[in-house]
Amino acid sequence: MTHAEESSAAADRVGKVLQQIGLELAFAAPGQAASATTLDDLFTSLLVALPDSAPAALVAGVTAAAERLLTVAGGVVRPSAEALAYLAAWHPWCEEALAAWGAGRPVTTWQPTTASGETAAAPPATAAPAPPAAVTVAPPAPAATAPSTPAAPLPDLPELSVDVLPADADPDLLHLFCAEAQDLLRDIEQGVLALETDPGDSGQINALFRAFHTFKGNAGVMKLAVLQQFTHELESLLDHARRGSLALGREAIGVILAGADVLERFVAELAAQVAGTRPPEALSLPIPAVIEATRRVMESPAAAGPVAEAPARVPPPVAPPVAPAPPAPAVASAVAIGPAPTGPSAVGASPPVVPVAASVAPTPVAHQALPVTAAPPPAAAAPATPRGAPARVASGAIVRVDTHKLDSLIDLVGELVIAQSMVVQHPDLVASGDTHLSRAVGQLRGITSDLRRTAMALRMVPIRGTFQKMARLVRDLALQQGKEIQLVLEGEETELDRTVVDDLSDPLVHMIRNSADHGIEPPAEREAAGKPRQGTITLQACHQGGYIVIRIRDDGRGLSPERIRRKAEERGIVAAGATLDRREVLELIFAPGFSTAETVTDLSGRGVGMDVVRRTISGLRGKIEIDSTVGSGTTFTLSVPLTLAIIEGLLVGVAGERYVIPTLSVRESFRLQPEMVSRLQGRGEMVMVHGRLVPLLRLRQRLGLDGAAPDGVVVVVEAGALSRCLLVDDLIGKQEVVIKDLGEIFRDRTDFAGAAILGDGRVGLILDVAALVQLRGRQGEAAA
Amino acid sequence: MPPADGGVAARPGKYLTFNLGEESYGITVLVVREIIRLCPITPVASMPAHVKGVINLRGKVIPVVDLRTRFGLPPRADDDRTCVIVTELAGATGASRLHGVIVDRVDEVAAFAAADIEPTPDFGGAIDVRFLTGMAKASGRVTALIDLDPELAAAPSDSSPSR
Repeated sequence: MTHAEESSAAADRVGKVLQQIGLELAFAAPGQAASATTLDDLFTSLLVALPDSAPAALVAGVTAAAERLLTVAGGVVRPSAEALAYLAAWHPWCEEALAAWGAGRPVTTWQPTTASGETAAAPPATAAPAPPAAVTVAPPAPAATAPSTPAAPLPDLPELSVDVLPADADPDLLHLFCAEAQDLLRDIEQGVLALETDPGDSGQINALFRAFHTFKGNAGVMKLAVLQQFTHELESLLDHARRGSLALGREAIGVILAGADVLERFVAELAAQVAGTRPPEALSLPIPAVIEATRRVMESPAAAGPVAEAPARVPPPVAPPVAPAPPAPAVASAVAIGPAPTGPSAVGASPPVVPVAASVAPTPVAHQALPVTAAPPPAAAAPATPRGAPARVASGAIVRVDTHKLDSLIDLVGELVIAQSMVVQHPDLVASGDTHLSRAVGQLRGITSDLRRTAMALRMVPIRGTFQKMARLVRDLALQQGKEIQLVLEGEETELDRTVVDDLSDPLVHMIRNSADHGIEPPAEREAAGKPRQGTITLQACHQGGYIVIRIRDDGRGLSPERIRRKAEERGIVAAGATLDRREVLELIFAPGFSTAETVTDLSGRGVGMDVVRRTISGLRGKIEIDSTVGSGTTFTLSVPLTLAIIEGLLVGVAGERYVIPTLSVRESFRLQPEMVSRLQGRGEMVMVHGRLVPLLRLRQRLGLDGAAPDGVVVVVEAGALSRCLLVDDLIGKQEVVIKDLGEIFRDRTDFAGAAILGDGRVGLILDVAALVQLRGRQGEAAA
Repeated sequence: MPPADGGVAARPGKYLTFNLGEESYGITVLVVREIIRLCPITPVASMPAHVKGVINLRGKVIPVVDLRTRFGLPPRADDDRTCVIVTELAGATGASRLHGVIVDRVDEVAAFAAADIEPTPDFGGAIDVRFLTGMAKASGRVTALIDLDPELAAAPSDSSPSR
């Protein structure tokens, strides 16, 4: 008995590795280098885990498989379908052998299938493929009722038992995940149904793809690795459809629905387990079957016949495809296998390409498929409980962190940067001339700046989510207005600060609406103009310096400067006959109360859009530019800092105080000569900049600082179409500063956008250029 | 929030006492976060006179209020006893906010029993009693107990020229 106990402990360790191999095999696809590497590693672990006392037959079998993998897959070489099929057949044998060893039974010798190309051959000793296992969570008896009602005939593959509750997960987050997942699944279902009537609807396919994609991402965040990989398969199917390499036929739609059913069951179970209304147990799901069906649909895009009829490589199914779980006979089929009296896994033996994962009910005896709830299985027959195993494979390397913690980390890093520069710039240190010290200080500086970059990167998220919302918007707008519009997304992976992403959404919606509404012409008009019927809106993001640049480009009718001007004059936004260059005319559309639409539509054209957009973008310390050619389209270009936490600033001195002007707003600077200034009505001062008069604002006076500096440096700043010359005493330099909130007490001080801690530890105020530039209105009133 | 007429009676407990000239004041230690030496202050334009500006408190930018100016006492040159009491008060949004309060010098932490504290006498409108919560008599002297909440959070807007 001691021997048996020892063996069972070792078998337990081996079983765990074997389980991982099974799971990896379930998801491995031919030609994937990653899975080959993982498998290689796992086999190494397996060989290490096998004790000397293991039966020779088992060791031989494992070695044979490992060698097979090494020769065929080669660790780095992509595994062939043949190699995977070999392993798929090997895996159940190994499980069985392990179970037999654990139970002290004789181990059958591994006999590879005909190693020829006939990968479909049933594994050795398997008389007939076994029917799928019953759902492990449910009581064993009513097996036929347990599985989902598949919307499509699925391949006859056993179910995969997966852990529902991820380890160490936050119940609140799981709850959120469930809520969101249920929403997504609702969307998926509706999308699939819509696709059924119109299989070519690319918008729906895209929406479905995104839904699965989001689901996958969420599952990854929750470390639901199995779910994530499963969703990935469905996402790939839709990706093919989205790219047009696959027509979504009835069977494909059936597979997607079946996949959605699986997800739904999982989420329902997860929700129940999180809520505590169900015990934390593993759940059996027909994941291998759906994956297999998915792959088949993908492999035969054109001739994707009914899925169930395509099992050329699957042994003749015993069970009718639609009834996934025939009840009792499982026990009978168990006996058919090999010399082992009780154990062999007929279940796992059948699928050649998508093997059964390790945790699939390890023995055919029905009650043994219930590792958790059922009576204890005979003498360590199960190599390991399925619990915990799936989560270990390819666990998502993502950690959810409270944003407050992140923010305080970034605050601290900001302080560290300041402290570092205080040390580095300390006169004593500079004067010491000690090379050791200066080298150490240089290293400190390097590490600090790396640390800051890393810390900032923590808050970065891709803009994808925001972009994808626009796809839906464009689709709806096009439908509503009878236009044909395609949205092209570029640079979705561009990352920027989480807080900025949220704030960008509304302006983008406004601008996309504008493009779809005013920009893109109706199809007939486009054809008449010699353009394709379908209009294109391109949404593009990229990094440029410390900024994210987003371009919204349409190939519509463009903005007519004459019309804009006329409208602006009608509305009293600009005086008739004012001299404006083309850019300034285009900028007029950002003026409050401006609208170019001839008819006011439901969507835009009420003149509330673009001025709000500009204000929002300014609020993000960004800027927006417009370019348009009549007849060929309009481009809006947004530049927004990647983060709200740090800006590059121009440090200026005014009456002994230092102020920061965001560099993005600075156009140029020059030393003021008295003759440059012209006075209007003895009050308003203007400076000639490149042939244009720009109002001068003396910062000393504006900021209530004493003394007059007759000459100083002019910094020309701009916000939107407005510019202004700020007169400062001197320029001190450029510096990246961490922006600090000035606090409630100064909320009404609109001259300042915030504060920054400067190199010497003192506080410098950041000027709010948008507010300073707007002062024109107030001065005008005063002058009138 | 205490009513603006100073009707809230000070509770017995520990108070940080400090001086403005010859006058002694006390605030509850519960709102005191730390006491720092006077450091360079960055002025913020167009603020009421008693809002001296902002300082850098280990990476945080906090406003600094000169209590002397706020109480209408004559200005006095800063010396090495001049210091800033950093207080943590709930702001209008509920989040706690740090403020610095410049005082001539910090005295001690004194425990006042209920018997030591008298309600604020009626000064007949001669002085601003909005922030006074009581008078404590202990160790042979009178300490005015004040509540900084209306003082710091509300004063700038009260006296702001724009309102």
